Parts: sequence; C-alpha cells; structure tokens
Amino acid sequence: MRTYAPAPTVAVLERLLAEPSLARGVVHHQVIPARDGTFASFPDWLDDRIAEGLRGRGIERLYGHQAEAIEAVHAGDDVVIVTPTASGKTLCYALPVLQELAEDPSARALFLFPTKALGQDQVAEFAMLSKAAGLTISSNTYDGDTPAPIRSAIRKAGQVVVTNPDMLHSAILPHHTKWFQLFEQLRVIVIDELHTYRGVFGSHVANVIRRLLRLCEHYGSRPIIVCCSATIGNPGELAAMLTGRPARLVDRNGAPSGERHVLLVDPPIIDQATGARGSALTLAQRWALPFMRAGRQTIVFGRSRVAVEIMLTGLRESLRQDAGPRSRVRGYRGGYLPTERRAIERGLRDGEILGVVSTNALELGVDIGRLDVSILAGYPGSVAATWQQIGRAGRRANVSVAIVVASPAPVDQYVIHHPEFLLDRTPEEARADPDNLHVLLAHLRCATFEMPFDPGTVFGPGPVDELLAFLGEAGQVRQASDGRWYWSSENFPASEVSLRSAAPENVVIIDTTPDRPHVLGEVDLFSAQVLVHTNAIYLHESVQYHVDRLDWDERKAYVTRVDIDHYTYANRAVTLKPLDVFGEAVVAGGRRVHGEVMVASLVTLFKKLKFGTDENVGWGPIHLPELELQTTAYWLTADGLAGGWRRDELDVALLGAGRAIQAVAAVLLMVDPRDLGLVSQVRSPHQDAPTIYLYESMPGGVGLSERLWQRHDELVEGAAGLVASCACEAGCPACTGPRLEPDVNAKALALRLLRGLGATTGVSVPAA
Amino acid sequence: MTDALLLSRRLERHRAWQRRAQQPDEDDRAPDPRRATALAVRIADAVDGEVVATDQGTYVRRDGAAVAVPIDRDALAGLPDQPAAGTPLLFLDTETTGLGTATGTYAFLIGLARWEDDRLIPIQLLLPDQSEERAFLAAVADLVPADGWLVTYNGRGFDWPLLVTRFRMGHGPPPVHAGHLDLLPIVRRLFRHRMTDARLATVETELLSVHRGGDVGGWEIPGRYLSFLRDGSPHHLVDVVRHNAIDVTSLARLLGHIAARLGDRDRWTDAEAGDLAGLSRLFRRHHRDDDALACLEAALVASGRPSRRPATSHASEAWWSPRARPDYGGRPGPPRSAWPPGAAFDAGWSEARLLVERARLLRRVDRIDDALAAWEAVAAVGGPMGAAALIEVAKLREHARHDYRGALEAALRGRATLDRCRSTGRPAAHLERDIGHRIGRLRRRLAAVRGAA
Repeated sequence: MRTYAPAPTVAVLERLLAEPSLARGVVHHQVIPARDGTFASFPDWLDDRIAEGLRGRGIERLYGHQAEAIEAVHAGDDVVIVTPTASGKTLCYALPVLQELAEDPSARALFLFPTKALGQDQVAEFAMLSKAAGLTISSNTYDGDTPAPIRSAIRKAGQVVVTNPDMLHSAILPHHTKWFQLFEQLRVIVIDELHTYRGVFGSHVANVIRRLLRLCEHYGSRPIIVCCSATIGNPGELAAMLTGRPARLVDRNGAPSGERHVLLVDPPIIDQATGARGSALTLAQRWALPFMRAGRQTIVFGRSRVAVEIMLTGLRESLRQDAGPRSRVRGYRGGYLPTERRAIERGLRDGEILGVVSTNALELGVDIGRLDVSILAGYPGSVAATWQQIGRAGRRANVSVAIVVASPAPVDQYVIHHPEFLLDRTPEEARADPDNLHVLLAHLRCATFEMPFDPGTVFGPGPVDELLAFLGEAGQVRQASDGRWYWSSENFPASEVSLRSAAPENVVIIDTTPDRPHVLGEVDLFSAQVLVHTNAIYLHESVQYHVDRLDWDERKAYVTRVDIDHYTYANRAVTLKPLDVFGEAVVAGGRRVHGEVMVASLVTLFKKLKFGTDENVGWGPIHLPELELQTTAYWLTADGLAGGWRRDELDVALLGAGRAIQAVAAVLLMVDPRDLGLVSQVRSPHQDAPTIYLYESMPGGVGLSERLWQRHDELVEGAAGLVASCACEAGCPACTGPRLEPDVNAKALALRLLRGLGATTGVSVPAA
Repeated sequence: MTDALLLSRRLERHRAWQRRAQQPDEDDRAPDPRRATALAVRIADAVDGEVVATDQGTYVRRDGAAVAVPIDRDALAGLPDQPAAGTPLLFLDTETTGLGTATGTYAFLIGLARWEDDRLIPIQLLLPDQSEERAFLAAVADLVPADGWLVTYNGRGFDWPLLVTRFRMGHGPPPVHAGHLDLLPIVRRLFRHRMTDARLATVETELLSVHRGGDVGGWEIPGRYLSFLRDGSPHHLVDVVRHNAIDVTSLARLLGHIAARLGDRDRWTDAEAGDLAGLSRLFRRHHRDDDALACLEAALVASGRPSRRPATSHASEAWWSPRARPDYGGRPGPPRSAWPPGAAFDAGWSEARLLVERARLLRRVDRIDDALAAWEAVAAVGGPMGAAALIEVAKLREHARHDYRGALEAALRGRATLDRCRSTGRPAAHLERDIGHRIGRLRRRLAAVRGAA
C-alpha cells in the first residue's frame, strides 16, 4: 500500500480508515464542519497611509474579531483577544498602535512576549506593517541580547519597545528614571501569549504588571492593556488577574476555516494483565507517513526533544526505504539555531518543506502558515495546548485532519476515553495567584526599591503597611519621618527574584559542557531535592543534563549535557501537617477542605526509568537534609468510611484513588502532575479519618488548591471514570499507579472508595 | 483568598515560621518614629555642621575649612579635554547606599568644593532621613553653577547618573552645568603605567604623597548610613564625612598635580617618561600630532634619567612585538590582523618603547624620512626588537617609497638579526615567519619588475 502519488487529504484519510490495524485504535472520530468567515471593512478613523499599506500587502478587509478588537482599543478599553492559531492576532494590536503613532509620534507602546524569540518575530512583523504604511517608527527588541550602545537609544527614542517579563522586571522597572520618555507617554501595553502566564510564572508576572502600572501612574500615563490569548477557559479572568483591571473579551473568531476531522487514537494493548500499551511515537509515525507520501504538509508534535528526534529519525528512515521525500522532513525544537528555525518556518510557509516534527516550540505564535495534517504524539498536557497544536492544521478551503495519539500515561488515558473533554468542553482555566505571599513580598521589595510607598497605598490584595512592616523587621525597608516606606538595603532586590520560581532561595544550575560554564537556570530548594540531586537527569527545554554534583551549601548544581534513554525519579518521603483551614464543606462520605499545610520532605533515593516504557533500570541514594514547605493544599477526608475496611486495603484504596484524583486534577487545572504532591493517610493524626491530600509543590501555592476544592465533585467523578474505564484488570500505572502488591486488586478497592465518596461512574462496573 | 484578613493570618504564620527557621536573637522592637529634624541635629552636632530647614525639608550642611591647593589654570587649559581657564570648577563626590544607579540607591552625602583663587572651599551636604531628599537635592542644585564644570572621579559612570536618577525620582530637573571633567579616565591614560590600580586612594599615595590613616573602607559606607538610619546614632557617619572630605580635596590636588606636572611644557623635562608617553597618546587622540611628538621627545629625554619607580611589564606579549598593537586610545577598531588587540597595555615605558612609539607617530604624520631614521635607531639596539624595527623599515621602503630593493635589503638584515637571536637562544618564531614571507614576496616583486623591464 505504498503510494507516492499526490492525493487529497480526504482520500488519504479514507484509505487509512479502511486499514483495520489502524482503524481499530480510533477511539473517536469527529468532523468539525467548515465555517465561513465574518468580515468588516477598515474603520473610518484608520489613517489612510495604514489602510494603503494593508492593501499593498493584500489585506482588503478585516476579520470580524480583528475589527471588534481594534474598535475597542480605539475607544480606550482594555481588551483580551482569544484567537485560535493563525487567525491574524498581530493586526488586532498592531493597527491601534500604528494609528496612535501616526497621530502622535511621541506616543510609546510596550509589547511583552514570554520569550525572546517570539518578541523578535513580532518586531519583524510590526516593522513590515509600519514600513508598508510609509511610517518611520522605531520598534526594537530590548532583551539580554541588545548591545549596550543601542540600549540607551531605545530608552530615549524607542517608540515600540518589545521585551519579556524578566527584562521588564530586572532591567526596566528598577531603572525607570532612565526610561521616563517611555513611562510618560505609554499608551498601549500588549501582553501576548497570555495563556502562558499561569502558575508561578503568572503570579510573578501579575506582580511585575502591578509595579509597571504603579510607575505609569507616577509618570502620569494610563496605558490601555491589550492581551492576546490562545483558547483557554477563563481568558477574561486571567487577564483581570494579571492586570488587575477588567477587560473586554473578544472571542468570536472571524477567520474562515475548512472542514476538519479530529481523531482520537489509542495504541493497542500489548499485555492484557498489566494493561501495557504500545508506543505513541510509533503509532504517530504510522499515521503520519501516508500523508507525507501523498504530498500533504504534515506536522507531528512530540512531547520531548527525545521524542522529536526518535520520530524524525523513524520517518526519514521509512521515507528513504521507499524513496520518498525524505529531505523535505525536518525537525524543529529548542536548541536549533535561530537561522535554521527561520529557514524551516519559511519552508513551511512556501510549501518547500513537507513535514516537520516539533516540540511545543511551534505551538506558540510562530508564523508557519496553515498545514494539512497535525498529529500529536501524546496529549500535550492541556486542552488549550491540544487545540493550539490541532490548529496548526486547517486550510481555509480544504479538508484538514488532526490526530491525537494517546500515550499510556494516566492523564492521556483519561483524556482519550473522554472525547467530550477535549472536543465539547471549554478548555481548562489558567490559574495564578498574584497574592501568593512569597511572590507578593518579593515584588513588594522590588516595588519599594523602585519608589517609596505612601502609607495606606494599595498594592495587590490590600494596603501595604503590614507587609512592609514585616519586611522592615528584616531591615530591608524602613518607615521614614514622613511616614513613607523607603528601601533601606544595599541589595538590588530584582536580581534576587526569579520570575520562574516562587521561593526566595534557589539552586543555580550550571552547565559545564561548554568551554565557559554558564547558568542554565534555577530551581527552588524543594524542587531541587528531586530534580537536581547528584546523578539526576535534569531536563531543560527538552535537553537532558546529568547532574555531576549538587553543592547543597553553595546552592549550586553542576550539570553536563548527555543524551541517554532514561530519566530519573526521586522518591520523596513526605509528612504533612495542616496549619489552617481556608474553606471546608461536607460532601458525600466525608468532607472537602482547602487550607494551608506544612509539608516536610526527605529525599533518600532515586530510580532510573526508561523513556516511553518507564521501566526501572537502576537506582541510587540521595544524601540531602530534610526540607519544610509551607504551601496550600486541598484534602478530602472519608469520615463515613470508618467501618467495613481492612486497614491494608484502605491504604491501597487511598493511594490508588489519590493517584487517579491527582491525574484528573492535573488535567482539569492544566498543570503538570508534578505540580501537585500527593499524601494519603489511613488514620490521619490531624483529621481522625482517612485522608487524601493534594498539596501544591510551589511554596505558598498559586491558587490550585482552592480550585480543586471547588471542583471536588468533578475530581471524584473523574477519578472513578478514569479507573473504571481503564483496560487493565487490577490497577496499572495508567490509573491507580504502579502495582506494589500483586495480589491486591487496587482497581476495585479504589473504585469502592470513590463510590463511597459519591462517585456514580464506577457503579456499573463489577469489581473484578 | 485575596481577603485582607486571611492574608494577615497567613502573614502571622509566615512570620512565626520564619522566626523559628532563623532563630533571631534580638526581639523585634517597633522602631520609634524619629523626627527628621532630630536626626539632622544629631548629625550636625557630631560632624560640626549646621541644620538647614527649608519648606521642602531639612538637611545638614557642613562648611569645611578652606584648604590651600594651588593650580595653574592656564597650564591646565592647554591640555586636551580640560576646561578653559575662566570656567568655574565644582568638585563633586557622593557617598551612597549602594553600587549601581538604579532607583533604590540613595545618595546621602554629597561633597562639593569650589576654588577661590588658590584656596579650596569645601561644602558637604548630608541627608538626615530619606524623607528629606527634596530639600537636600535642592541645596545641591543651588550650588552647581550653570556655566561651570563638574570635576569628579568616575562621575560620568556613577555619581552624576545617580544624581540624575535621584532628581528624576520626583524632585525636579537635574541642575544644568557646562561640562563634566571625569579624572578617572585621565588617570588611567597618564599614570596607569606606574600604578597597581586606579582607585583614588592609590592615586593619593602614588601621585600626591598623601597617606590616609584609619580611613573607612568604601565597601563599608552604605552599611554605615543604613545603620545610622536604623539606630539614629551619628557616630557611624563621622568617619564617612572625613573620608568624603579627603576625597574631594584629593580630586582638587590631583587636578593641580596634572596641571603643574604636565600642563607646563617647561616642566616636561622633570616629568616621568611614562606620564609623558600617556599624554602624548592623549594629544594624539585629539589630533594634536605636533604636541604628541613634542611630548615623546621630552619623554625620551626624561627616560635618560633613572625613573623614580622602575617600570615593570605584566604584558604577555612584549610591547615591541608586532603582535602588540599601539594604543592610541579611543574605541578599539576591529583588529587589522590576527594579533590580539590591546596587548601592549600595562607594559612599562622603557626608552626603546618610547623610540618605537615615536617612530610609529612619525609614520602617522607622514614624516617618512624621520620615521625611517627612528626605526633604524631602534634597529641598532638589535635582538628581536631590532628585527621588528627592520620589518617596519622594510614596510616603509616598500609601501611609502616603493623602494623594493631597499625593502629587501632591510628584510635581509632583519633575518640576519633573527638568525643571531636563534643562535644565542632567543628565537622569535613569529617574526621569522613574518620576515620569511616578506622576503619571498619582495623577491617575487623584484623579479616581476625586472621581467616587465
């Protein structure tokens, strides 16, 4: 069945579905009908030069959502624009900014992108638009790569400054007096890729925005804020959380799209007893090959660098065997040179490149045009990311195909067997907690450094006085004779705060591979125990590093680059003590609670696990001191289940149900399962009843536990569904976790417990 | 979760936890609110200053005793980059709560001084509390003459940008002034050949024969002021005020020293050869080639005398080697060859090096005959340096005179010199390579000329 002749996408799909070995794995097949676009003409107020420039670039009119967004910004409203992949979001903010600058060249705009690369892309696109309009506008990226002499020119005369939150935090805000031209005339702030600002990062960035707006107020400007987000469940809420101001939501996509087929595919079960399944990577290649042979532009997403390289090698090998278009299949991931990436992007746009295997690097707003087929080897971790990756396939006039191939991980299995979760439900909500005490205090220090606080000033959740008094005890700030709070330390607080982690103290990761060692990143102490202990395999932007030595006292981990087939998993022995209850309610079979807890963690050994199969290939000891983590947690107690359980059975049931709840929680809240720690206690010394705790692994938490508490019913129901629908017999890594005792039916026990807690899903399934 | 009550409860626990973790031994007393005036009075008493209260706030002003520091302003004005004789000069040195010029660093002590005839009149301004910055800065602004120049040490990089930051923090526009003379780059240019570093304290001992006793270390100063803010005790500041006063006086002395030693051409004969060489480069940078040459001639005379401090060379590449690029100052351009740039830095100024410098300068001003003579003089010294000089002679003959035969003759002499070096155990491989290529090329060129003829 080898065909090299070009064929339409539909024809290839029909042929594949006729192949029994492939068709068997299709769990769900849905056709999303074609949709017409809605259009609007350029607004009257738009400067003629800009309109001419657009026409010159072949743009005669706007999509409905673009027009709506532009009108709102022009009217002076904050806007959050929700746009699927490749729907022309740049125009939504570029046109109002161009208009502002056409009217008044002294105006300034600030564009924030989560990464340097995206910022550079956008600067190029914006420059093209302004050039087409015949306007001389100075738009520049200001990031770590900007040479010193150019920096001072940008500070003085840059009309559009494109930067990232880290740079804003450590280089612009603390030096705001050198940027007074920008702050005085700032009219528009653009926050692109809003959905990436969640969790700890989002909590930090929200505080950076608080500092930014505080300085704008000082300089007398009141910029409009335009946020752009991929599809998430709560864009308006996230924007409001990030900016502290309500925003008008623009989410009616006006871009036309063709018919789209979405297939959810499960690898075949290899071993019935354990429920082990085949590899998602292999299956993804089987689906991808025929499309490439037929000349259809195809993108394959892998979840890690290793996955990308494995699939790329496999696809090229197969194409070579049958003399296919091997050289037109490329890889794309972090670690490729920028020029190489640009060439690949260009090749995809003009059709020169037929297939690309990528990490989620191509999920963000990089312009590669629209392709025919998108194949996801593994659920990317969130509905939002899934739709972004699916959205890479979508011709305006032609049929496109998206295929999600599940891996054996519990999260994947849950998603694939609940098609409604992916296809019908609104995507997850992005959570951040800007009022996380650790984060808030860190930025309050930075803010005091930047400008003294008047007593009673509101910063974030409330008046600052009490928090500043707390900082004053450590001597970092002081109240002067006029009652205002001043920075009173020699230190530069912004350099002590990293936006990518919550704890004040960090372990710095130093890459010793190159001739000149450089800092690769940093992790908080609590995570460092499990991520960068000596001999750990540390993954950074999908690159593997071996930790040669962790110097705990110096807070430094020395790593070298490696390329091996396993990763490490450290066992954390955790004890947990509740400190305070924020909310509590009675539910079926017990209580649901969220509050603050103290987690003590001791890490003593790690396992080496093979990629893909998670097979255990060795272990080693870890010698590190115990750590305490003060954080927030959600817990559920099974008060009603006191009788009728053997203690050992209850132990297995709690752990199994807990694992399932953890997986579902990760899905619902769009977080990595590792962001939530699990502790189960048969007889909790603090609760007097069997208890399952899910705690946030970031100090102070970022608001996940409160949401879990609110969505308790869904968690229990979802966990029961995950366990019940799993193909295994008595519990497996895909549902209740690895089987520790072969004779115990963890699946039945976990289901029994979950039913006792009010789940209805599992009722009809007989305990095997 | 955002409710303020909840936050304060969490804060309380956070605090308790933090305390347990760090086990602090002092109880946390709430600091009593101190009146700025009270603080100002304490400082004034301790440092013999006076409290000045304006409607913008309170600060402390300390008028020091006038110091006799002579200076020849006409001589100074003759040097490159210096203010005209009639320009008012204001010496300025700040003490701050940290390094860097970001917005959270405060200047708390500003030492100023102006000249009246040969007498230096010092004024120091002190900030008694962060709340009084407006009055403090207004006082500074009042003392900066719009037609005057600031004189600082690293003030372009630090003191002035910091003050601009402070003014922009809502205290009005920074004061206008006509110019800014930063002595740090000048010291580097002129005196670095005989100093281990360019700190002002080093300048004092090496150039001005001033020795400070019991001075406060620069790194200590921010902490001193922060301690004062915490406990209100002015004794933290007494040494800092003294330190600052010495700094400002030293700035004036340094300027007087430069004017006296280098500004007056009649005294060049007493100057250090290395200082003159540095000055020559400074002239050269301002395209005053004749002055630069005159300076070098004087340096050559001076180098005949024994130096007060023998020059030591730390450079990995010998200064006379062709690898060592001459430093004429300014921004380094792209290296014209694979030779490492800036290799000549920090090398001592021996007579031979001065000769080389002079030969290079003569070439630069197109006095080819003089340059050739100068290089021949260096060549007479022999050794690898002599060979390097002969390479230069060959270059000049070939490119400026188109005398290929003469160039070949010089190159062959150079090779002979190198052969002697090798036989006496001083081989210079890169020179041998260079001269080998040169001889080959010159021979081919001569052959071609002959063929054409």
